[in-house]
Amino acid sequence: MQRRDFMKAMMAATVTARAAMGEQAAPVKPPAPAMPAPGPVPWTRGLSAVQPLPISPLAADSIAGVETQFFSDRQLASLRHLCELMMPAGNATPGAIEAGVPEFLDFLLGVSPKDRQESYTRGLDRLESEARQKFGISFADTKAAQADQLIRPWLRSWMSDHPPSDPHEYFINIANSDIRTATHNSQQWAEAEVARGLHAPDMDVYWYPIDPLLHSEEGHALKRRSN
Amino acid sequence: MADETVDVLIIGSGHSGGMAAKILTEKGISCLMLNAGPVADIHRDAELKPAYSLPYRGFNKPGQLKHVFQSNEFNANTWVDEKEVPYTYDEGKPYNWVRVRLFGGRSLFWSRQSFRLSDFEFKSKSHDGFGEDWPISLADMDPYYSRVEAIFRVSGEANGIAQYPDGNFVPDTSPWSGCMQRLINAAKPMGVPVTKARSSMGVDGLASSVNLLLPDAFKTGKLKAIPNVVVRELGIDKNTGHVNRAYFVDRLTGREMSVKARVIVLAAGTLESTRLLLNSKIANSSGVMGHYLMDQIYGAGINCSVPEARDGKGTPGLMGGGALIPRFRNIDTRAKGFLRGYALNVFSSTGPVGAHNFAAYGAELEHKLASYHGSGFSFGIMGEVLGRYENHVSIDKDVVDAWGIPALKIDTKYTDNEFNMARDAVDTSIAMAEAAGFEVLSKNYDPNPPGYSIHELGTCRMGNDPKTSVLNKWNQSHDAKNLFVIDGSGFTSAGWQNPTMTILALAMRSSEYLAEQMRQGNV
Repeated sequence: MQRRDFMKAMMAATVTARAAMGEQAAPVKPPAPAMPAPGPVPWTRGLSAVQPLPISPLAADSIAGVETQFFSDRQLASLRHLCELMMPAGNATPGAIEAGVPEFLDFLLGVSPKDRQESYTRGLDRLESEARQKFGISFADTKAAQADQLIRPWLRSWMSDHPPSDPHEYFINIANSDIRTATHNSQQWAEAEVARGLHAPDMDVYWYPIDPLLHSEEGHALKRRSN
Repeated sequence: MADETVDVLIIGSGHSGGMAAKILTEKGISCLMLNAGPVADIHRDAELKPAYSLPYRGFNKPGQLKHVFQSNEFNANTWVDEKEVPYTYDEGKPYNWVRVRLFGGRSLFWSRQSFRLSDFEFKSKSHDGFGEDWPISLADMDPYYSRVEAIFRVSGEANGIAQYPDGNFVPDTSPWSGCMQRLINAAKPMGVPVTKARSSMGVDGLASSVNLLLPDAFKTGKLKAIPNVVVRELGIDKNTGHVNRAYFVDRLTGREMSVKARVIVLAAGTLESTRLLLNSKIANSSGVMGHYLMDQIYGAGINCSVPEARDGKGTPGLMGGGALIPRFRNIDTRAKGFLRGYALNVFSSTGPVGAHNFAAYGAELEHKLASYHGSGFSFGIMGEVLGRYENHVSIDKDVVDAWGIPALKIDTKYTDNEFNMARDAVDTSIAMAEAAGFEVLSKNYDPNPPGYSIHELGTCRMGNDPKTSVLNKWNQSHDAKNLFVIDGSGFTSAGWQNPTMTILALAMRSSEYLAEQMRQGNV
């Protein structure tokens, strides 16, 4: 571009920007040019011409193996069995096991507040203890009819934001809800829906952080005033 | 160094700040608007994504935004970060302070329900002896409501019900669906009116400060605005008692600045406006600033199913649509156990029924969900919370936000009046649903924590007596004549109604008064 053409383009851009801002902005002095990066070629050369790569969203845990870290082996075995019972695979849709829900919940609970963690660990421990007491076997080894005797008495209908307050009722009903949601929100479920000719049901507008703080290490701590 | 004196400084850009900017600039008055957060651009800041591609599969990031029940992983970044701007409360008295600091504030996200207060609210003490009457009446507000309703294009139907005043509506002539007609028939013998919902249609579905108010203000050339600046304190001229300066901090860099102003219009949202005034230690000769915090009870209600709509039999004529049951308690008779009243939001659904409505799991639950799909019908309360002196906010001297500004401590709780009201709402909903032939699937008597409705009101209430109120009937400080507080903090009572139309009408009314006072040289 000739210098004259470049200046004309810059003028037009400035006028457009000022019009869009309702002439509110005062004339801005152009910033001093940045020092060129060392080396024979400016490092950003050509970047503006690059087209976005056709990378589709891909959840890593839909391909990769994951290591569970939060639940004990016994608790995880109970959770797996709960997943099998509460969200089994359908004819054309994956169940919670196929959707990697036990491993996902192990991750989610591992980074959750303590009261939520304890709800799950105590709830799973109680299922294990009641199964041993009642049937002499681990919960993970119970037949569906046996497990039902341990689950059904605690099931409740409830309204959003108001799950049951009894701790074990809370666990059973929240686990039922979490296992369904984690299955529906998995990549495996979305792909199954697309394969059935349906749109993936879990699309929504995701908002990125908007002007996040520049000094987050200072800004994001709950500050106690120093006396 | 520039140290201009602006004519009117407006703090906040939501419905009330936007209305002030529109009215004042259209009368030729120059305004500067400060907003604590950034400008959001959906084309730049948002993207359509599947839940599975989010870090937590669409679950909220654990522990983040624990007071914002409305949040999810998709929209989490639009709410105020509770670590960036903390607030406190005593254990056992939780409060859900739900905040948006984006330019346009909470006018970007609201339910569009558009109601007028009636004289059962403006003159509530005269009706039942509790609290205080407002210093204004519906007759004072009527012309402003009408103009606001025209700007926001409120759809509705005139019903001629005194406690549910009619307005300047885009007529809603849609027919009732079959299930709604059944509710109307069931409610009538109980003396319960069922009416069309009233809703702001706005433009292209958006009814916000950023598309209905601020563009008009910018068009005048009289409005300048600075996003991402957090006001720390207001300064006062000790000789005149007038506010004269706002001290603020650049949100991103922490750089401290201030601006001089002839008039300051505070529109930061109920509790942020009060927090700023308390931190500034001004305008509180009455001692009631921070007190009489109110909102509305939400969360109590029932979910039902219309049996005839199950198993794929729900036709568009039978299902769909919503209704509003306006307050019907304590109008001509006295309800047992509570003062004032509540409204009910009623919806019927042609979509899925939530799994939590069934005490079932696995294949049994899937079967029920398939059978009940398209048969949902729900009732939800919007109930008035009484204004009590002891429900208040103050400054927590031990906690500061990301910029060192002292945080707000909120001390409020519901009383038997609210709990009894919620119980009556649920029991009455069940009676109406069963009379209509619906199956009740789930019910909840417990209101959500205070604040959940995002309708926090009061704490700078208006009144005629400077000894018992912070603002006069023009939303003007009794103490500092060039200070106006025009958001929900001026409410004297809460009512059951979504307060947005009243906030807008008050902002319009007080801004016109301010413009006239400036013209006459009184301010």
